[in-house]
Amino acid sequence: MDFLDDIKLKKDLIIANLKEASNDGYDHSITSAGEKGLKSGKVSELTAIANLKPGGAERLKKILEIANGNLGGATNVGTLHDLRIVLLDNDTRILFCTAYDGDWDPYINDFATKIPELMDIIFGNVEGWPGIKSPDVKQFILDHQITATGWYVGIPHLTVNDIRRQDKIVNGINKAIDDANKL
Amino acid sequence: MAFDFIKRIFNPEKVEIALDDIQSLILRSRPIPYFGTVALIEIKEPSAGKKLLKALLPLISSAENWHVNLSASIFISFTYKGLKALGLPENSLSSFPETFKQGMAARSTYLYDIDDNDPKNWERTFLHSNIHITAAIIANTEDDWQQKLKEFKETFGAERHIHLIESLDFGATEEMKNVFGFRDGISNPEIEGSGIDNPPGYDKPIKAGEFILGYPGETGIIKPFPQPEILGKNGSFLIFRKYQSQVAEFNKFIKENSSTPEEEELLAAKIVGRWRSGAPLVLTPEKDDPDLGADAQKNNDFSYSEDQLGKKCPFGAHARRMNPRDSKSFILEDGRLHRIIRRAVSFGDIVPPEVTVNDRKERGQFFIGISADAMGTLEFLQKQWANNGNSVNLGDEKDPIIGVQRDGVFTCPTDPLIKRYHNLQTFNIVKGGEYCFIPSLSALKWISELD
Repeated sequence: MDFLDDIKLKKDLIIANLKEASNDGYDHSITSAGEKGLKSGKVSELTAIANLKPGGAERLKKILEIANGNLGGATNVGTLHDLRIVLLDNDTRILFCTAYDGDWDPYINDFATKIPELMDIIFGNVEGWPGIKSPDVKQFILDHQITATGWYVGIPHLTVNDIRRQDKIVNGINKAIDDANKL
Repeated sequence: MAFDFIKRIFNPEKVEIALDDIQSLILRSRPIPYFGTVALIEIKEPSAGKKLLKALLPLISSAENWHVNLSASIFISFTYKGLKALGLPENSLSSFPETFKQGMAARSTYLYDIDDNDPKNWERTFLHSNIHITAAIIANTEDDWQQKLKEFKETFGAERHIHLIESLDFGATEEMKNVFGFRDGISNPEIEGSGIDNPPGYDKPIKAGEFILGYPGETGIIKPFPQPEILGKNGSFLIFRKYQSQVAEFNKFIKENSSTPEEEELLAAKIVGRWRSGAPLVLTPEKDDPDLGADAQKNNDFSYSEDQLGKKCPFGAHARRMNPRDSKSFILEDGRLHRIIRRAVSFGDIVPPEVTVNDRKERGQFFIGISADAMGTLEFLQKQWANNGNSVNLGDEKDPIIGVQRDGVFTCPTDPLIKRYHNLQTFNIVKGGEYCFIPSLSALKWISELD
């Protein structure tokens, strides 16, 4: 891109921001989430694409249909904001995306001892998956991870725990207000 | 004399690891009291290094009979630079973990070694010297210490290719207090297969592979270790960190936030997680109990299962953060994976609680931590448990004792309202550190005989 194009792009973005953006007072700037991935505030992204084993797509669909959104193991992790599985290219490849708090790699051993079955039931459908207990699993994930080009988080400064805690506080305050109004 | 090891009962039928090949420090508790020296050594020429190793070998004790007190022992470990300086073959060098090769200073962003702890503020020794060997002499009498130190120094002979960069003395009296005046180093993980017969109330021993290379870990898998097998097996990795303790600043913070001497002692205990005597808050939440603190049979026999609101011991207390025992967990964590064998020793004098002006004297701790994955464990502890509050559901709060902070917050659940203390500082500042490899005795011999 030449210099003038660059200036024009910057100008267009500034104008669009002036006309259309609003400011919530949060810091949305991007940092690195470790060896790969982006982070905004406390929330990081992990995006990975991998080939599926033959029959892998069928098994995955069945698992996720049975779960119907209730992935108790994911709730148990306590740092997952969301998790998305998309099948690509005639069900031969998987796109896995998640937004999570902090870092994933220091926790890889905890996954291996705490939720090994859940991890292997889902990712065992991926070609070459070494198993969550394998010493090679961290590198396997990194090898398939693609750092996002863009990353925006609506509430970058709150972890899942922070949100759960604040939700409880608001519910408590509302209850106190309701009780007071009844007097 | 109350020895630390009386609580640990040895059962020879439970030995499944090669105790006679493993260096003593890995399994042996510090003697009580202790006297010792840490020596940082540079090898200027491979053959001189190997000669030194040959001379040192007979002085280095194994972990055999770790349950019996040793009057004095010597321990030796190597940095990655040190293994290179000894001329280890290239395929051996490349089999070491990346984090170990990079070294502690280079991993600063992964260790949250920033601001006060930033390597750019470290002591020159750790930044500009070639630390190749970290050795320690530790003894339980002054005479034994001096005798062993003399034997150690004699192995250097007149060799000019061996350079003693620095030697630092350390020690603690029978009360085992650190420079803050708190008994510490009480709790250590027990290792399966070491011959430990666990008394009731103590943690189930952790799989040997978490602490010693070449054995299955908690997942049942033997993790990769340095090659060939004679070099890696029965070895381990060590974290060495020198902390300068800001005791006067800590005392000042306590005084500014308390109105009576009793309140001061309580707040200090809430921050540490134990009273000065070592008595755990969970067992004696209102006031110190020196008899309990000194009783090795009882001072570690507790869990947080009956204190899930943190009203006795706050979630943010240093001891609870670093060893959550049966605390309710807010994120998926396996407490058994992040334990480390601690062999920290104190240097400098104790500052009494009434002193609130920094006299600028050197005092603090040589933190020595041992694990088969010492680098990964330190990165986890530093980033997740010491400098983050998410796993204890405390937002941005950091560990009040080892966290890096300027205007830090400490949350203390009390009745009826939670108390929030402000303006915590970095009370222990990292002044330097290294990652070291602790070879087995047969590996030391193998290295000393390399061509």
